[in-house]
Amino acid sequence: MSMPGPSTTPPTNPALDLSGLTWVAKRLKVPSRNTLIFLSVTSSVLGLYIYDRQQCKKIRQEYVDKVKHLSEETTEHLAWPRQVRVYAAKWPGDEDYNQCARYFRKYVKPIFVAAAIDFEIVTGKKHGDLADRIADEIKMRRRLDMGLEEEHRDPRLTPKYKFRSKEVIRQQELDGGIVIVGRPTWKEFVDGLKRGWTESPAKVDHDEILARELEDDGRFDELEPFEEAPPSPAKSFNADFYNTLHQAPPKTTASSPVDPSIPSSIPILPPILFVPFTNCVGFKLIPNMLYDFFNHRYFVQSGAEAAYRLIMRQTRPFNSPSSVSLFNDVSSEVPPTSSSDVDFDNHSERYYKNSLNATEKEVERQRRKYYDELVPKLATARELARHIREPTKDEINYPPPTEVELRAERMEKEKRWRRTLSGWEIVKPSSEVAWDMRFEGLFTVFTDPAEKAESNEDTTTTKSTD
Amino acid sequence: MSFLGGSRSASNGSINPEKIDLAITELDTVTDFFNRMVTSCHNKCISARYADADLNKGEQVCIDRCVSKYNDVQKKVGEVLQARGAANVNASNPASFGSP
Repeated sequence: MSMPGPSTTPPTNPALDLSGLTWVAKRLKVPSRNTLIFLSVTSSVLGLYIYDRQQCKKIRQEYVDKVKHLSEETTEHLAWPRQVRVYAAKWPGDEDYNQCARYFRKYVKPIFVAAAIDFEIVTGKKHGDLADRIADEIKMRRRLDMGLEEEHRDPRLTPKYKFRSKEVIRQQELDGGIVIVGRPTWKEFVDGLKRGWTESPAKVDHDEILARELEDDGRFDELEPFEEAPPSPAKSFNADFYNTLHQAPPKTTASSPVDPSIPSSIPILPPILFVPFTNCVGFKLIPNMLYDFFNHRYFVQSGAEAAYRLIMRQTRPFNSPSSVSLFNDVSSEVPPTSSSDVDFDNHSERYYKNSLNATEKEVERQRRKYYDELVPKLATARELARHIREPTKDEINYPPPTEVELRAERMEKEKRWRRTLSGWEIVKPSSEVAWDMRFEGLFTVFTDPAEKAESNEDTTTTKSTD
Repeated sequence: MSFLGGSRSASNGSINPEKIDLAITELDTVTDFFNRMVTSCHNKCISARYADADLNKGEQVCIDRCVSKYNDVQKKVGEVLQARGAANVNASNPASFGSP
């Protein structure tokens, strides 16, 4: 008796057979292994992206609906909306100075627009620009208060236009708020604030000061000792050159003396909204960038929450560094914000590029290179100018820079180097936020409405236990 | 309207037809600019469903921004046109430009 051969019928799925779905086994096939891999990878990546963007829309719409009612109020049509100042400085290491402003525009602005809040974005193209601008505005305000300057009235508006008085403008500013995006902006803001309230409010022409300093530098001096006589025309040439640089003297001349004393207290500032932001720059942070690409919803949530805090106007006093050290030994329990607010977004400084630490060395290197190359250029320019030798054919076709051009170029370069160095001084991770004693009790911070309710409960409970 | 009053008070006795033409052109330009701005900003900022007679805050802010942008654009375009016009005049009259 021969055994039956191996069965040639394909394996059947009893579940499909018994339920009558035999055609499934005949017509539908599981795709091949490679197809499966491709489909699973593609669909998971696509799914992550789609899920994230859907969530973004949902979260944004939720916050817009929460604040929409504010834009539907009616007031008289000449009333001013609530105005907010947004500071967004350059992020270290990123050539694009707009990154902080872009984060604001993408994640915080929609909620502001939905709540009919008017905002003005102030950015700085280089490090230190924002600090300078804030310091200048404060000095202008001090001059206004001292009566050295008139209030600025736009001449294009008709004389019957109802200009707001200075007090009304300041009250509206206090009513609005200040938004600070990212830690470099915070550092620049505090530095500008400190400088504005510490330095003298007189108008200062930085170009002229730099010009005088460079004049004494001796880089353009003659080297040969037998040319003692020409240096005096060279020196008078210096004076002429720098006199042409000197612009028209400012209106506040020595006739109206500026009080150089440092004000002992600073008038109150509008409340501050901190918007946390970390910019990923550089090759090492590409994994972070990928993660962020698939998780925009966390940014939307954080930005919308920040906007909501400002709109709801709940404020709390600032946790300054000295008050934190006071409370550390008094309270038995760790307070919820145990770190000072001065350390806002401290962790983002870990993400700065390492090459930035060599900024000072880089500037030094550029300086040395420039001055080394300057000597022969200067010699050529002087020789041609004094007709010691005739210009070569190349020099006729492409005339080399004259001494005046060289001086101007050097001034520009020195200005740029000094600005780079001073800007980096403010923003680098190793420098602290420029805290000042007068800042005690000056700042208020926008906080979540729920948090404010909780802290209210805390204070009431502690009061009851007394 | 104030500039019209200014030109009328400046002319004493003899009416300069050129100046009046200039004034008319300027008035036309300004009125046209204003009308277009109002139409454009109205279309952009105010929805067709009129729920309320008063402007609400959102619309006010939108209109502020619209007017400001419109003004900026008009100024910039005007400057570019003027520069181009001046360049054209200089290019077409080289002799007159060089003569003292």
